[in-house]
Amino acid sequence: MTIHFLLNGKKTTLDVAPDRRAVDVLREVCGLTGTKEGCGAGECGACTILVDGESRLSCLMLAAQLAGREITTIEGISDEGHLHPLQDAFIQHGAVQCGFCTPGMILSASALLNRNPNPSRADIRMGLSGNLCRCTGYQKIVDAVAATARREEES
Amino acid sequence: MTQVYLPRTLAELWSYLEGKPEALVYAGGTDLLVKMRTGKVTAAPALICLERLAEIRDVRETADAIRIGAAATHAELLRHPLILTHLPVLTQALHTLGSPLIRNMGTIGGNICTASPAGDTLPPLYILRAEVELCNGETIRIMTIEEFITGPGATQLQKGELLTGVLLKKPVEYNFHHFEKVGQRKSMACAVASMAALLRLSPAGVIEAARLSWGSVGPTVVTAAVVEDALIGEKLSLETLAAAAGKIKQIVAPIDDVRATAEYRRSVSGNLLLRLLDARPPS
Amino acid sequence: MPLCYVFLRMHSTESDESHPPDTEETSRVNPYIPEIGKPVPRADAGAKATGAEKYAADHYGEDLLWAGVRRAGVAHGRIRRVDTEAAAQLPGVIAVLTGRDVPGTNRQGIVHKDQPVLAVDKVRHCGDGVALVVAEDRATLQKALSLIQVEIDPLPGVFTADDALRPDAPLVHEDHPQGNVLLKATIQAGDGQAALAGCDILLEDTFHVPVQSHAFIETENGVAWQEEDGKVVLVVSTQAPFRDKWEISHALGLPLDRLHIIGPYLGGAFGGKDGATVQCLLVLAALHASGRRVKMWWDREESFIAGYKRHAVRMDYRLGARADGTLQALHCRLYYDTGAYAHLGGEVMALGMEHAGGPYRIPHTLIEGWCVYTNNPIAGAMRGFGVAQVSFAFEGMMDLLAGKLGMDPLELRRKNALRRGDRNAAGVTMTQSTGIGDCLAAVQDHPLWQERKAWKRGAGPFRKRGVGVAAVFNAMGYGRGLPDSALAKVELTTEGHIRVYSGVSDMGQGNATAFVQIAGQILCQEHTAIELVQPDTERTLPSGSASAGRTTYTYGNALIKACEELHRRLIGRTALMLLSDTLDDLELLPGRVKNLASGREIPLTVLAAMMAPEDRVCISQFLMPVVRDKLDTGKEFVIGFPHLLFSYAAHLVCIEVDKLTGAIDVKAYLAATEAGRVLNPQSFEQQVQGAIAQGIGYALCEEVLMEKGRIVNPDFATYIIPGALDIPEMVSLAVESCEPSGPYGMKGVGEVGMNGPLPAIAGALADACGIHITGSPLTAERVLAALQKQQETP
Repeated sequence: MTIHFLLNGKKTTLDVAPDRRAVDVLREVCGLTGTKEGCGAGECGACTILVDGESRLSCLMLAAQLAGREITTIEGISDEGHLHPLQDAFIQHGAVQCGFCTPGMILSASALLNRNPNPSRADIRMGLSGNLCRCTGYQKIVDAVAATARREEES
Repeated sequence: MTQVYLPRTLAELWSYLEGKPEALVYAGGTDLLVKMRTGKVTAAPALICLERLAEIRDVRETADAIRIGAAATHAELLRHPLILTHLPVLTQALHTLGSPLIRNMGTIGGNICTASPAGDTLPPLYILRAEVELCNGETIRIMTIEEFITGPGATQLQKGELLTGVLLKKPVEYNFHHFEKVGQRKSMACAVASMAALLRLSPAGVIEAARLSWGSVGPTVVTAAVVEDALIGEKLSLETLAAAAGKIKQIVAPIDDVRATAEYRRSVSGNLLLRLLDARPPS
Repeated sequence: MPLCYVFLRMHSTESDESHPPDTEETSRVNPYIPEIGKPVPRADAGAKATGAEKYAADHYGEDLLWAGVRRAGVAHGRIRRVDTEAAAQLPGVIAVLTGRDVPGTNRQGIVHKDQPVLAVDKVRHCGDGVALVVAEDRATLQKALSLIQVEIDPLPGVFTADDALRPDAPLVHEDHPQGNVLLKATIQAGDGQAALAGCDILLEDTFHVPVQSHAFIETENGVAWQEEDGKVVLVVSTQAPFRDKWEISHALGLPLDRLHIIGPYLGGAFGGKDGATVQCLLVLAALHASGRRVKMWWDREESFIAGYKRHAVRMDYRLGARADGTLQALHCRLYYDTGAYAHLGGEVMALGMEHAGGPYRIPHTLIEGWCVYTNNPIAGAMRGFGVAQVSFAFEGMMDLLAGKLGMDPLELRRKNALRRGDRNAAGVTMTQSTGIGDCLAAVQDHPLWQERKAWKRGAGPFRKRGVGVAAVFNAMGYGRGLPDSALAKVELTTEGHIRVYSGVSDMGQGNATAFVQIAGQILCQEHTAIELVQPDTERTLPSGSASAGRTTYTYGNALIKACEELHRRLIGRTALMLLSDTLDDLELLPGRVKNLASGREIPLTVLAAMMAPEDRVCISQFLMPVVRDKLDTGKEFVIGFPHLLFSYAAHLVCIEVDKLTGAIDVKAYLAATEAGRVLNPQSFEQQVQGAIAQGIGYALCEEVLMEKGRIVNPDFATYIIPGALDIPEMVSLAVESCEPSGPYGMKGVGEVGMNGPLPAIAGALADACGIHITGSPLTAERVLAALQKQQETP
């Protein structure tokens, strides 16, 4: 089927099977491999994307569900080559190790900050509680999100 | 290749269903798509996704009741002021359900129709005496959630029928709401055991009314009039609760599974009652 | 080895006023030299945070084929028939292969070649591959895999080490001369167990630890294709690309020069990608794909079923001490369940045995180990390689002893802590930095320890609080019997950049960043001018596996030498160009070499254009030093015993136990770690915090559950790893020392943190509730059962 949607700000038209998983469409058809897959069952959050600004698991969405939506992947979160403040904070605060959870973490964090620009550390942990990380122990990820929130508030 | 329909109105939905009566319906996909992946559900002739069905997604209030659209997501309900004001026990349960990602996708209707003994919204819905609204495009059936869910994964939902809404009387006679889930971690946890409670406490600390339910300790949510009766009229004390705990341990019918033994679930279903010792009516 | 020689030749460029104005490119990011000792952000973080980094899993390509494996699904049995006919007939199927189609030896294994690429006669665990399918797309692949008819006559299996050791036990490998015993070994020091008789106090207990899964987020995968000249290229998520090449060559009978392995950054590994996963399967598939690319990517369940695991171990301990708490004698028997194939089982057990006495002086020891084949999934390397297991036992014994003596558990540990010059429990003299005493002192001084009594009193209703400590250590490097070597290669590129060719994988541990720091420090270049090449068997040089806490140590030492040589060359060649008759005034600066006396400069681009290509490349090898003691014990270990270098840590944990549910809530965590000097405080903390989190999972909830060798929780819904809400805020203290043999004085820090959480939490549980649980993980269910039992016993 033909689907039209906005992908990282660009009008996109694809001819894909409607029951193909969104994560496969993004990675294999659109070449956006920043969206990762870690479990295929909604348990790890590595495939997190933003759908109309809300975080969603792209492994549990079918291609047909992309139609008409505004989809943001990690590749689309930065602005004209400038890092998103969360990306910058993840780099500076050591929140990236193997990095395989990082795109999903950043998108979940961005959805969190959109709803709650001034989260406590507990709020941040809750906001990221669907994204598993096996490397960091989460602390530096929480540091990075907290620092981003502070920076946004100051500016 | 399977067709995927995304109806925007109930009228569209009924017409799809008419053409493909064997189609499988999902809302968030957090249950059905997982089961299809592992082969527990095999290829359907068509899929119908309810995510764009605005008609059954809102929360409405009348003088004495709340109606929740079945396709409302857990996240929407979690931040909904009407739910927080009138049904805090449901808010507490939603807070423990899955993760923000799962809550953004999964719906209350999906949680009910999945009918897992571990469904996090179910113990609150049982003690809130929720009624479900079932519609097939022509007729509407209404029944209690207790009647609707008949076993693990089994409901009274008929072919061509859709769960469209959940009807709840405002539990004005209760002044204390409580939900607790025991899981293997603090998020993304399937309930090993859970308990929901509504109490009316007198200023002197006497339990005047009580409704209780337990999740994950039987084929469906467990309620026990005998336990509620044991509490009503008694002062809220460790002795009262311990006596009730002894009774519920006899009533629950848990199983061993990969997450816990039946024995543990039995112990915990009693122990969770003791947490009510902290219960204080809102001043 | 010059003692911290390079510290002396650090020089600053801060005073250099002739620095050119920032270009537009660098003005966004403050330019800096990624100096040693600074919290330099990771070199790989930017590409990873923007989604641009291409992991092996992100490689696809035009005209891609998909490969997959049909698994046995039976723990032990004889293959009667594998009927591939129906699968092969399916449209879109390119090839269906069985063990009979494997050229070469069809045998893999790092030390013992006992693991088939595809099983031929017999299957030894549920995850054994019996057929390989190559298909046009994933749906066809799945369909074809399901069409393969596999007939296996089940054999009785062995599923615990105890079962495997029974005289009449079915044999996992009929041709193995020692039956089901892969390796039986003994380490003895002093008078051995005879000394137990003379001890004032003798304590005895048995501990059990379960199978743990690495649970990296990027599951095992790769892409392979055959080029026109016959060479096969494999891009794979691996910790050991050069060893992979040798393994594939052996198993598939391909000449080494027909294999080209590329190892990008990994999405986690922790030991689980140290060995054969998809490698041979993919190369075999590529040989049948007519030059098309073939991708294999195990799903989460397959990763659980077929991937490596941490060994389950039973540990019988007897510890003897004097009445004043001085440790005297230890006897332990360790039974490692290594699963169906040898893999690194013997080496894992060797390291566990070497650490079985903890970081303590125990003059008399007898440590016996049995590493045993079973029909369980294959056990192998995982962070804390055999040591995470014994840490639970020896620290459990220390807590028991402290309780018995009424002694402060931290004091007891300090009293017995190894010092430099002592012999450890394996009888090896500690000749290098030995900082466990300082780590324990740092914990003792910390408010979390000092104020613990007040904190414990704050527990709410139905809750109890406790504080536990653990002293742990972890060896570094391969140990005796195997050269722990790295070959560093560094180049001045024609763009005037410094390119480091790393032959050792970065699976997330951050060694690549350390390499940028080392090159930046010695060659005085900004981070933007340093390029990193990840392992590639045609561009980089063999530098061993990413394992054993060795990557930064071994490769770093080699890189220092290579960079120093390049530094000498750049200065020397500049002298030619600037007609300097002395090198004294020539200074290597960002992007150029300057004569400080004359003010004249040569840009590195010009220098590079002048230099011959081979002159712009420096290669250097480093070989890790080994123990000098001649030991008359542990002779059964061909490789991996003993070790020269250890990192140390003292951990403290504050927990709250819910008496109604048994759940343990970890409230605070402190780790004091000695791993020599810290090259990068941020990377150091990353390793410490990440290891603690994995350790907390190991302590509280992680357990691969099996029924007769079949994993019953092979997914993230049922195999529970901690999320962001489950891990507390952690404090990491670096207790620095200088390890003279290490690059800038460092030692590996990746593993030691894994070993502390389980014993510390078990100790905290005993402190909170007076219950001593010897089988992990410490699940709510186990804790509640122990609390109930405690209540029932008067």
